[in-house]
Amino acid sequence: MKKALVIALALALVAALAVTTVTSCAQKPKPSKVTVWCWDPNFNVYSMKQAAAVYNKAHPEVTVEIVDMAQDIEAKIISGLQAGGAGLPDIALFQDFRIEQFLHDYPNAFVDLKAAGVDYTKFAAYKVGPMTVGDKIYGIPFDTGSTGLWLRTDYIKAAGLNPDDYIGKNLTWSDVIKLGVAVKAKTGKPLLSYQSDNFDMLRIVVQSTGGQFFNADGSLNLRSDAFKKSLALFKELNDKGLLYSVVGWSDWINAINSDKTAGFLNAIWMVGSVKSRPENAGKYMIIPTPLIEGVPGASNASNNGGSSWYVFSASKNKAVAVDFLKSVWATTTPDTLEFYNTILKGAGAMGTYLPSQSGSNYTANDEFFYKSQAVYKDFAGWMANVPVLKYTPNYVPMRDAVAHATLNFFQGKLKTVDDTIAAAEAEYKQVMGQ
Amino acid sequence: MEKRGIYQRYLNRFGWACVAPSMIFFSLFMLYPILSSLYYVTRKWKGMANTFIGLGNFARMAQDKVFQDALGHNFIFMVIQVPLMILLALLLATFLNQGIRRFRGPVRLAIFLPAVTSLVVVSVLFRVLLQSNGLLNNVLLNARLIASPIGWLNDAFWAKVTIILAMTWRWTGYNMVFFLVGLQSIDPEIYEAAEVDGARKFRQFFAITLPLLVPVILFSAVTSTSGTMQLFDEPNILTWQGGPANATMTAALYIYRQAFFVNADFGYATAMSYVVVIISGIFAMVQMRLLGERRAK
Repeated sequence: MKKALVIALALALVAALAVTTVTSCAQKPKPSKVTVWCWDPNFNVYSMKQAAAVYNKAHPEVTVEIVDMAQDIEAKIISGLQAGGAGLPDIALFQDFRIEQFLHDYPNAFVDLKAAGVDYTKFAAYKVGPMTVGDKIYGIPFDTGSTGLWLRTDYIKAAGLNPDDYIGKNLTWSDVIKLGVAVKAKTGKPLLSYQSDNFDMLRIVVQSTGGQFFNADGSLNLRSDAFKKSLALFKELNDKGLLYSVVGWSDWINAINSDKTAGFLNAIWMVGSVKSRPENAGKYMIIPTPLIEGVPGASNASNNGGSSWYVFSASKNKAVAVDFLKSVWATTTPDTLEFYNTILKGAGAMGTYLPSQSGSNYTANDEFFYKSQAVYKDFAGWMANVPVLKYTPNYVPMRDAVAHATLNFFQGKLKTVDDTIAAAEAEYKQVMGQ
Repeated sequence: MEKRGIYQRYLNRFGWACVAPSMIFFSLFMLYPILSSLYYVTRKWKGMANTFIGLGNFARMAQDKVFQDALGHNFIFMVIQVPLMILLALLLATFLNQGIRRFRGPVRLAIFLPAVTSLVVVSVLFRVLLQSNGLLNNVLLNARLIASPIGWLNDAFWAKVTIILAMTWRWTGYNMVFFLVGLQSIDPEIYEAAEVDGARKFRQFFAITLPLLVPVILFSAVTSTSGTMQLFDEPNILTWQGGPANATMTAALYIYRQAFFVNADFGYATAMSYVVVIISGIFAMVQMRLLGERRAK
């Protein structure tokens, strides 16, 4: 009796609410709020703020709240997903190499944006791959991770070499080793700084060869010729003293901005971090990713990182969130083109929405770089040649296992390339419980 | 008679009402998770999907060298760090209790502060100090104590040393406070009597202070041991995700990574937690036996 009364009351309340919603909708757009989780205030947060400003021009009633989740964003999202969507934002940013794990583990957690009418032919194809499951496509592609070799021209000059001999050149790794040895001998600076906890550099090189880490059936494959050659290359670089290893992201940025090395190998999104230090002005040039010799299909281009926006099915503001992403990030209007142009200049964030790539900043010279190199034009050009990498849902355990084994290889605990590969495979199998 | 029964019943009801909130919260946040973990432990989870595998998670653990090594690291940290820290805390407490008269408050605060400071906050500073070209290495190099920089964060051995140092830095002050309280509760008349009998300070410490502090040492050892078994922050932040190459991976960090980072396998993570809990329980029992018996004599 009591129960029935409670249910009746609850139903009445819901009905009353529904009625008021309908009536108010008919009159005036209701104020609503969309929450976005991402990281990196100078890059993703900045870009999302610009997007919100564009959207608010037409929709002043929508508040976009952007939360900078500096740490453990994935862990917090997993907790939310396990709890059936409780505590999750409406929109979140995912690394391209992480999203397949989420789409696989939580099949109904994300909104199918293809069904919502997003035109994916207008995005770079390699970005759309990881977010596609069957005939559903879940994300809005954001930035590219097109890579290049970043070099300090002042150290090259100090070594008695002419930077102009290298600019714009498609080098091979043996050219780079020669350059590195010369720079090290004269300036004492190792050529490349890198994070030993993830070894992004190694995977950049493997991808540049067109190599894969997984077979078509999703099983691990580290025994390709490309992988072996890449591993041997880095061992040589390490043994010649051309590498400078740090642990963790902030230490790496620190190393770069305190002149520890004559360069690094990484993606376009490093522009912001390099520009954050005024003393770097005029010193850096970026040349194509060096080529590894003797591997058929290798190219002078690769990719590292890059992420995309996703809407959670559990979002209460799904319609608004989807409309926001779609109308700013995936629609061609003068405002949205200007938006993409702005975030490129402001944060070095190069979107992968193809119609935006004719913006004036894409081809502009950038006086911050050596001889005002038009870096965005170059990165965009290399992007077109990036071999497609299949991430699979198990990319992170593979990455960690490879990084651990490679570090032990460098430190002499593992003796040969084959031992290193075997150690990586063993750790991967143990962590995956295979 | 009857009146008393009503009153009794009222008291009973009132008592239950008083404990009800805590009972509800206990059931919700302790009892229910413990019971549901019995369900989790028999299953392999992958995101939202899970399948029954019986004791498969324990079989997997027997094969998983990463987990076994992680437990081994916990064990190393415990065996070295807990005695080191207790000894240090005891010495500091004795010193603070007798050795100095002035600035006792500020010194006590300085020693206790690390325990209440978030490691996330200080880790930035620590990492600057400990980098291969960081302050610590530069000081040691300039003093000619070492010939080449030490890989505090990069070398498998030295990273473990770093963890032990960081843990000691963080928890010595915390344990010292217990010892300080223990020392202050010892009746000064006992020392006076000992002095009359001609016992020196050194003798007094071992014959009076130490035996009377055994309950505090026991408490400190048991809590520190279980703390070491749950060690998470230092390897996650300071040596960065259990690095270098899993050299400082601990059981708790591996459990977290299995559940929230790599596999979303809550079944396997739960099973590993069971093992950690059982091991911590055994250690606590052994310690109570050893120290408890001596106390009885």
